Amino acid sequence: MKKKLITKQTKARLSSFIFPILLLLLWQFISSAGYASSAVVPSPHKVLKTFQILLTQQTFFRNITASLERVMIGFLIGSSTGFLFGLLMGLSRTAEKIFAPSFHTVRQVPMIGWIPLIVMWFGMTELPRILIISIAACYPITLNTFAGVRSVPREYLELASVYGFNQLKLIRRVILPAALPSIITGLTLSLGMSWAILMAAEIFIQTQYGIGTQIQMGRQGFNMPLVVTGILTVGLLGFVMTMMIEKVARIVDRGRAIGNET
Amino acid sequence: MSVEKGTLEIKNLSKSFIVDNNPLHILNNISIKFPAGAFISIIGGSGCGKTTLLRIMLGLDTDYEGEALMDGERIEGPGSNRGIVFQDHRLLPWLTVGENVAFGLDRLNRKAKKLIVDEHLKLVGLSGFESAYPSQLSGGMAQRVAIARALANKPEILLLDEPLGSLDALTRIHMQKELERLWLLEKITMVMVTHDVDEAIYLSDKVVIMSSRPGVIKKIIDVPSSRPRDRASSEFMQIKAEILKEFHLGTEYPFAYAI
Repeated sequence: MKKKLITKQTKARLSSFIFPILLLLLWQFISSAGYASSAVVPSPHKVLKTFQILLTQQTFFRNITASLERVMIGFLIGSSTGFLFGLLMGLSRTAEKIFAPSFHTVRQVPMIGWIPLIVMWFGMTELPRILIISIAACYPITLNTFAGVRSVPREYLELASVYGFNQLKLIRRVILPAALPSIITGLTLSLGMSWAILMAAEIFIQTQYGIGTQIQMGRQGFNMPLVVTGILTVGLLGFVMTMMIEKVARIVDRGRAIGNET
Repeated sequence: MSVEKGTLEIKNLSKSFIVDNNPLHILNNISIKFPAGAFISIIGGSGCGKTTLLRIMLGLDTDYEGEALMDGERIEGPGSNRGIVFQDHRLLPWLTVGENVAFGLDRLNRKAKKLIVDEHLKLVGLSGFESAYPSQLSGGMAQRVAIARALANKPEILLLDEPLGSLDALTRIHMQKELERLWLLEKITMVMVTHDVDEAIYLSDKVVIMSSRPGVIKKIIDVPSSRPRDRASSEFMQIKAEILKEFHLGTEYPFAYAI
């Protein structure tokens, strides 16, 4: 059989580049056709140049590490709390009755709305930034863990009771693995929320280092390329982290991943 | 009084649910003995309480009147002396075939587990599939794994809840032969709930016919034929006619449709 030069897999991978490239072309077209001033829409070339300069500066990396650290700590605190909370409400109808109404009420408050309160409590320090990210990360994982635990098929629970599993073993061997796809979706959404709120946390609660700080500084100095590179950096980092979660998920959840591929 | 291991006896068992303050009788005064090593099928229309009866035998339901005795002792809850194969294979999709077979073997160490898994996969003809996932198996193969999982616990009695109900006709006939082979090999009691009259006659020593609302035992029919059974033999046909008559599906007017 003749070996194909482009396999189906690489084709699928290549196709995911089509849309970004089109966007890039559109961007180039708008800036070079002069529809907008270069101060408002910097050309891709200019942005790339700014990136190159930033890569030689220590501040840029400090901004990235500061933001990454914030997101990671906030995400870890928020998602682990949310996971346990969702698990508790999923397992116990009593816990659901007690906590769910308050949870759904508090959830309606937009994240930005918390910032003044938390700043007044804790001042313009690192703690409120991380706290805001934690709260944001908490919601999606709570909801998805809860839904995942509740939708474990009754048949699996029956199977576990046939084998005389106790509560702990039931959770560990049946409920958690069955709810895993939901939990992973929750984690991915939580991570997205963390990134989204990171910007607000860094811009509203000013800090020396952070990608949000970079964007804010770009705005104040009317340095559009700096703003755009900041936005792109956040997007790319978020993308890489989501891919990592999905990769880990596929390894952990091989049985179902295989089922979905075929 | 000592009872041979693998004997399950139901005595004067009744079960009802309360619906809108009125008792709804599911099972009414059921008495039946499953002798050790026998293959017994239960046939009945939907709603005849077969599933409830199986749940009681498994120990998942202990709220009833009368007695359910396993090896002469009252069934208080699930136990490893009773295994079950469900209609859906109910393999856990996140576990490999081997891990599914080892599902109830937590008390054993790795080595002992592997030995039992290998032995039982070989028994159902699936050696070499231990690291496959359920999603990679066909319906018949998945049901074999489910049977291996149930047998791995070395039950004295295997309960089969329409085990071949979701398989296609050809796979089904093949699996009936497999079930018979396993039964002859393992020498354990098997109780199968089925809708398929041919399947019941092919496999069973006795066929229990239940009727619905409330579930009562209508008739128990012996199948004396030697094994393996010939589905086309006149004896087979006679027994089938006898069973179908109980469901008013007998050919009372055999020429009625020809007119």
